[in-house]
Order: sequence, then structure tokens, then C-alpha cells
Amino acid sequence: MSFRLRKTIVIALALGGALAALLLHLLESSNVNANARAEAERAAIVTLRAISDTSGWLGAEGEGVRAAVASWSGGAEQRKVRISNTDNRTIEASSFPEDVANGELPRRMVRDEKPIYDLGQELASAVEGNAGGAAATKEVVALEWSADGWLKIATPIFHEGAVVGIVQTVSKPAAGATIAVPWWPLAVGVVVICVVFLAGAFMIGERKLPLLAFAALLLVGFLVYGGRAITGALLEQRIAISTQVAKQVVEEKGKALAVMQTAAVAAPQFDASLWDSDRFLKPRGAIKPDLTIDRAKIAKVVAGIAEANRSVMIAIGLFAFVLFIFVGSESAAKSWAALVKYREAYSYVTPAMIGMLVLVFFPFFYGITLSFTDQNVYTTNSPLKDLWVGFKNYTEILGDFNIMERTDAGLQFNYKNFYWTLFMTVMWTVTNVSIGVSLGLLLALILNTKGLAFRSAYRVLLILPWAMPNYITALVWKGMFHQQFGVVNQVIQMFGGTPVSWFERPLTSFIAVVATNGWLSFPFMMVISLGALQSIPADLYEAARVDGASKWQQFTSITLPSLKPALVPAVILSVVWTFNMFNIIYLVSAGEPASSTEILITQAYKIAFEQYRYGYAAAYSTVIFMILLAYGTWQNRVTRATEGI
Amino acid sequence: MRLRIAVLSTLAMLLVVAPLAAQEITIWHAYRGGEKDAFEKVVAQFNASQTKIKATTLAVPYDAFADKITAAVPRGKGPDVFIYAQDRLGGWIEAGNTIEPIDFYLDKKLTDRFIPSTMQAMTYRKAVWGLPLNYKCLTMIYNKKLVTTPPKTTTELVATAKKLTNASSGTFGLAYWYSNWYYHSILFNAYGGGVFAADGKPNVNNAANVKSVDLLMKWFDKDKILPAEPSTALITSLFNEGKAAIVFNGPWFLGEISPKIQYGIAMLPTVTEAGGKPLAPWMTVEGVYIAAPSKNKDAAFAFAQYLTDVPSAKVMALSGRQTPANKNVYADAQVAADPVMKAFRAQVDTAVPMPNSPEMTMVWSPVTTAMNAITKKALAPKPALDKAQAEVTEAVSRLRKK
Repeated sequence: MSFRLRKTIVIALALGGALAALLLHLLESSNVNANARAEAERAAIVTLRAISDTSGWLGAEGEGVRAAVASWSGGAEQRKVRISNTDNRTIEASSFPEDVANGELPRRMVRDEKPIYDLGQELASAVEGNAGGAAATKEVVALEWSADGWLKIATPIFHEGAVVGIVQTVSKPAAGATIAVPWWPLAVGVVVICVVFLAGAFMIGERKLPLLAFAALLLVGFLVYGGRAITGALLEQRIAISTQVAKQVVEEKGKALAVMQTAAVAAPQFDASLWDSDRFLKPRGAIKPDLTIDRAKIAKVVAGIAEANRSVMIAIGLFAFVLFIFVGSESAAKSWAALVKYREAYSYVTPAMIGMLVLVFFPFFYGITLSFTDQNVYTTNSPLKDLWVGFKNYTEILGDFNIMERTDAGLQFNYKNFYWTLFMTVMWTVTNVSIGVSLGLLLALILNTKGLAFRSAYRVLLILPWAMPNYITALVWKGMFHQQFGVVNQVIQMFGGTPVSWFERPLTSFIAVVATNGWLSFPFMMVISLGALQSIPADLYEAARVDGASKWQQFTSITLPSLKPALVPAVILSVVWTFNMFNIIYLVSAGEPASSTEILITQAYKIAFEQYRYGYAAAYSTVIFMILLAYGTWQNRVTRATEGI
Repeated sequence: MRLRIAVLSTLAMLLVVAPLAAQEITIWHAYRGGEKDAFEKVVAQFNASQTKIKATTLAVPYDAFADKITAAVPRGKGPDVFIYAQDRLGGWIEAGNTIEPIDFYLDKKLTDRFIPSTMQAMTYRKAVWGLPLNYKCLTMIYNKKLVTTPPKTTTELVATAKKLTNASSGTFGLAYWYSNWYYHSILFNAYGGGVFAADGKPNVNNAANVKSVDLLMKWFDKDKILPAEPSTALITSLFNEGKAAIVFNGPWFLGEISPKIQYGIAMLPTVTEAGGKPLAPWMTVEGVYIAAPSKNKDAAFAFAQYLTDVPSAKVMALSGRQTPANKNVYADAQVAADPVMKAFRAQVDTAVPMPNSPEMTMVWSPVTTAMNAITKKALAPKPALDKAQAEVTEAVSRLRKK
């Protein structure tokens, strides 16, 4: 009796389970710690806003403000408070020891205190920036954790609707410390599923598929159970946090009223529950105006987190399954054997692989990752996971079917639409490649004539357009298509025609760019065809002549079939080049008129570097890549051109 | 024992040397040719003038400059100081951790030495982010052989240009890249137009802009004093062949003029149709910025201050042929005697700083399309600008959404 299969699969299950357990543990740990940090931050924001509102009511200066600083400083969190007035660059009151050491307060800021002033300006401009748009985009609470668990936080002080200063606090919250989440429950889970599998495996016997299915079922069960446990724990933690914060709001309200009373200034009506806000000063809504917690809201927030975690969970599951299948189907053992057997070959390609990894695959996958985000000029420094939008960019590109739009002049094409640009790109590619191939082949046939005088001179001349840098050619052609001074219109006028304004209508503009690119593309095809023509054995033609075949029959039956192996790869290459021929479009027509002659690649460039929508542009580029990939695969299959290369 | 002595003496030497070592700051710039030589001369002067700070320069190619700053500076790999035009300022500020605000360092004495509008170009959301170094703006350049007295008003301009235009031989009284929004700025600024409203929202299709385009179309279509499909290459060749009598162009054009052409520079005329307001070009200002992650901000600011002071400005004006933003340098006898400096100093008083907000980049493509459609008569001014407005608004709103 053999146990090989069962042994392999239990190892695969253990490895897959261990990977899942490790990742789940990391997820839970990061969630719990993020929650704990968020708790500390929430509490700090409540205190900060209590101080900021109180100092605002007091006009951000005078004895009252000093009393506020004294009242909120110290405590279990060793809080320090600083209130500065940015209008007249003074520090009004502070319990930071270094401020007092620099001179008695209130006083003007000294040079070393520039960061305080700058922070004040930054927050004031954030307030101003948010005022314009509907949704706030700038954080109005600056927040920073130091490595040793101190939380630095600041927000502007408003007085009669205007920003007059800032309040900063530094504290060491108890909740800031890292919480160690126990790892053993998940480890026990892995052991349990392995034991259950072994028990079941004895009943199933050495049958591969049933064994794999059973193991997979156990793994899924483990993942689901682990995921649920995490979400449940999160909800509990959240409710505990909000209860704590609500208690603190009550406390801070009392302090604020006390400070106002000592300053003998009447406090206006205010809703302290609004102090529990996010960093855009938007209330979180977890605390009701009567300062009790709102359980329904919290459950909704946790549901949101669970939703966000679900995709991570699915990813974890996928990773675990890939590992499980890889080991369980014995591919791992085979790969390892191959690696050992051909170790010399693998060691030779390693440097190239590393180069490819760094220079090709990394940027490629980074671009694809970027395409799932909403990164733009405002957010280049934010982490990508904060900008994640899923497939939104793709649905926006591919799901926009407004190809026609109604204007005053009647129904018109919407030239900015993806499908119009795709149509244009396909037209552009097909026209150019046809022109290139037919012109190239024709010239090659002429050059291949035996006994042609000055053949090498012609050949050099005909290759010249290709040898010149193509942007120079593009600019020369653009000049030739000038309405008033261009040579094309001069010739038209010589023959009595009226000059054409080439870049005024899509069709003429298209003709102009195609003419330019046709000029650039025939030499390549000519060189390829010429080489292939010269390699056709002369005896084939001789035999054909003996059999009485006409010139045309010789061409279709001998020349064309013999050219095919050389021409087809050239056409594939040429299609890919032309599809992405940026220079000609960008320099000659620049998409004029109204983006109608834009091709996909120039449009992607404009989205990235004129509209600064990096994420969207990355998605656009990925779509271009997918189109070319599909084309390449299809072409390969149809012609089997790359077979044997 | 020997070893210990060696170690101790090395340590002692380090202690002695350390306080004396100068603070090193790096400056990135994109100057070439004469401008680079002048700039490096100023840096050498700075290094010779004191011993505490040592400045070293690195010339970065212009087309790679902005991207390099965007990528390197926020990650702390960039220079301490860099020099660039104000058009990317807003984008860098919004991205964060790139440019240091310098409000705190400023006092009235310092800000007063600059031409006020150049200072305005360095201001974003009420805070100042750099010291203005040089400015560039359009002015009127004319062929002295064809034009004896440069026109003072647009009425005179049209009259002069009409006389000098002969479309069949390809000569034109006036030539400039009028279909380009930057060049068109002279006209819409004269009418009080622009691209952003006071609250920062795009406002491309305002009445003033439409009026300015109407006037342009009158010149092009009715008076026929302008060539079709203008471009820099076309304007340059027309002027150098003596086929364009008057061009509106900037200081970069002066180096392109053929030595055979005798040229003069004069203020842009006033617009009769806009109640005598002067044609007002957009101005770009090169600013000296301090990198936010720099460790030597005080030294960097000291350098920026030196760079924008009169002696440095004089070197850059006279040997670099740049137009300094420091207004006091124009009182210098040598600078005052220079006709080019004098002309641009006079012109800058009517100039308006080009917007430095990141939204500005989203304006270029739609307005270019609009101007092309208008000058090719595919669309009337108002609908073309309406369309551009819609496109800009959409692009901006897409960016803001989070």
C-alpha cells in the first residue's frame, strides 16, 4: 500500500494552511493595531478640538488661553499644548518646555520656530482649499506619530469664521503601544485541518481527485472561519473604542466650560459630539448629540471595513490555494527536479532574468497596479492603497459609449471617446501597413530587376527616409502641409486648385499624417522584401518558364509564397509599431482638429501629462497593451509565423 | 598603544576640523550656454564672498528637469535649492514635501527689491514659496528697415501692418503665434480676461476672452495682416527673410534673429478697442525654491537671497542676457544703457503673471483646440471657448474627486 499521494497532499495542505494562517494573522494584527492607533487619534482629535474651539471663543489670545493650556496639559498622557497666533507670528501660550526656554510667553516666534508658522500656514491654506469644492480634500488636522509612541497633532483655531492661529498638542496615549495579537489559535486551526484530513484520507484511499477536493474543502473552511473570527473581533473593539471616546467628549466638554467660566466669557451654544471628527473635521457620527454612542453607525463602519477586508481575504485565499495546488499536484517537486537538473542553464540566464525583472517586469506591473488607483498630481505622495478604486478606470474607459454627441451643428462624433480613438488607431494602422507593404514590395520588385543600372544608388536613396530621425521627417512634413507656405498647397495652386487647410477637417488631417508615415514606413518593408526576394532560388523561375507560366503566375505562385515567411513577421512588427507610432501623430497633426486624429498612445500621453491623471492613463495604457496582446496572439495562431524561431 | 594614539589623534583632528567644514548646498538648474556661464559665475562669487556655505551646481536638462524634481525631492534625494519657472509651482505644492514655504523669512525690505508682479508669481494660496530670479514675457520686436516708428496703438498697428502686407508675395505686417493661448494672452489680458475666476474656478469663456478673440479674428480675417497657421518656425523664418515687419515675441527670439536684420524693441501697443488698455503679456518667472526635505534651509535661503541681489542680477543681466526680477538692478548704469534690458523692464509693468495653479496644465490642450478651431473658422469664438470651458471644468473636477 502506497501513501505517496496522501503524504504529498497533506504537506500541501499544511503549507497552504500555514501561509493562509500567517497572512490572516498579519491582517488581523494590522487591523487591530490600526484600530488601536485610530482610537488614540480619535481621542487626541477630540481633545484638540475642544482646546481649539475654546481658544477660538477666547479670540486666541489673553489670560483665558493660558488657562486653557494649563487645564489641558499634563495628565496620564503627559500632554503638552501650544497655542500660536499665526497672524502676528506669536506663541500665545504653551506648556512645551522649549518654548518657555526660548523666552517668556507670549512673544514673537524666533527663527527656529519656523516649522510652527509653516504648519499654521499649511493648515490655513487647507481650510481655504476645502472651502472651494463640495467635498473636502485637504486634511485640516495634521497628525504624526513618532517612533517612540508620541502623537503630535495640530489644527487651526477659528475666530469668527477666520483662521487666526493653531493649536498643537503632543501626548503619549496608552493606546499607541503595539498590541500583540496571539498567533496560536490560527496555528491550532492548521493542525486541526491536517489531522482531520489524515483521518479522512484513510477512508478515501490513494485517489488523487477526491483527496485534493477534500483537502481544498478543509482549506476553504479554515479561511472562512478565520475571516469571520477577525471581523467579529473588530466590531467588539470598535464599540469599546467609541464608548471610550464618548466618555472623553463628556469630560472635555466639562473642561471647556470650566475654562470659559474662569475667563468670564460666555460660551456659545455648541454640539460637543462634533468634536469626534475625522482629519477633514467631518463628524464621524459614531456619537449622538446627547453624547451616547450610535451602535447602528458603528456596525455600518465595521461592515465597510469587512467589505474592504473581503478582497484581501480573497487574495489570501488565492495565494494559499496556488501554493496548495502547486505542491499538491506535484508540480513543486517536478519544478525543483528541473531546476536541479538544468542548474547550469538556469544560472546562465539569471543575470538576464534579474535585468528583465528590474527593467521590464517591475515597471510593467507597477503600471498595472497604478491603473487600479486614482493617482493624480495632487496625490503622487500618497500610498497607492489609499487611492485604490478597483476597476473604475476601466469601466470609465470601456463603458463610455457616448460616441455621438448632439451639438448646435447637429449630431457629431465625440472625438474624445475611447471607441472613436480606437477606430482611428485601427484605421491608421491598417492604412499605414497596407501602404508600407504594397509600396515596399513594389519598390523591392523594381530594385530586384536584373541588370538595373545604378541599383545600389537607388537602394541607398530609398532607404534614406528610414535612416533619418523620424521626428525631423515629421516636422518637415508638417511644414509641407502648411496652408499658406507649404509645398503641397503650392503644387495644388500650380495646377489651379484651391489650397487646402490640411488640419482643419479630420479626413484631410488624417491624409496628411498617413502620407508622412507612409513615407517613413516603406523602406523597412522594402529592405525585408528585397532580402527575401534575393533568397528565392532562380531555378524555380526557370522551371516555371519551361512549364510556360506567365509573369503574373510566377509572381502569385512563386514570389508571394516565398516572401511569406519574411513578410508576415515584418507585418506583425509593423502593426505593433504603427499602432504605437507616437511621434508622427503628436508632431504632425497633434490630434487636430479637436482630438479627432488622436491615436490611443497619444491620448494616453495627454491624459497623463496634460491632465495629470496618472491612474487613468495607466489604465488606458493597459487597455492598449491588452489590445496588442490579443492581436499578437491571434496573428500568431492564424499564421504560425513565429513557429520554429 | 601606537594604535590608540593614532585613533585619538584622528579623533582630535576631526573635532578640530568639524566646526570649520563649510555647509554644503546643492543647486539644480536647467541653464545652458551663456545663461549657465553667468549663473556659475554668480555661484563662484557667492562661494568667494563667505566661508560658511559652499554651493555646488548641477545642470539638469530642461525637458527632464520637472519630472526629476517631482521624483527626487519628496524622497529626500534632491538638491537644497532649485530653479524653475512658476508654472509647476502649484503642482509641487499640492503634491507636498517638495517646496519649502519661505513666508517666515520674508520682510518688507527683501520683498520690496522685486518687481511686484514677479513676487505675485511666487505666491500660491496666500503663501510665498520662492524668490523670483528672472522673468520672461512677450514684447514687440520690429524690423527697423520696414518700420520707422513703432505703433503705439492697435489702430496704428493695423494701419502700419496693412501697408506692409502683401499676401501674394507672402509678406505680412504682423506675425506672431496668435493661435497659441500663451501668445494670445496679450489680447485677453488687455480686455481683463483670463482663465481662472477669482475663486480659482476655470473661466475660459468669459466675455473679455470672447471679445479678445473677436479682435484677433478681425485682424486675421478682415484686415488680413496675419499669416495663416502660425508656428515658431514660420514666424522666425518670415522675420529673418524680412517678410514680417512686426512680431510679438519673447527674449528667446532675439537669439534667433539673423544678423542681417536690424531690429528694434518697443512696448506692445495699447488696444484702442479695449479703451486704450495696453496689450498685457503673460509672464513666466523663474523662481529660486528651497527643497522641503533640505537639511540646510538657512544656508539655502542665504544663497537664494544672494542670488537675487543686485550684484548677482547684474552679472546675469549683462553676461547671461537674462531679465532679472530684481528691480534695483535696472538703476545700474550698464544695465540701464542696454536697450534690450530697458525694453523688457518697461514691458514687464504691463505683464500679468501666468497662473501657477496645477489646474493650469489642464487648460492648455482644450484652449489650443479652441484656438485652432477659431482661427480655421470651424467654430465661432463663443461656442469654441464654451467647449473649452466645459472640457477644462471636467478635467479639473475629475482631479479633485477622491
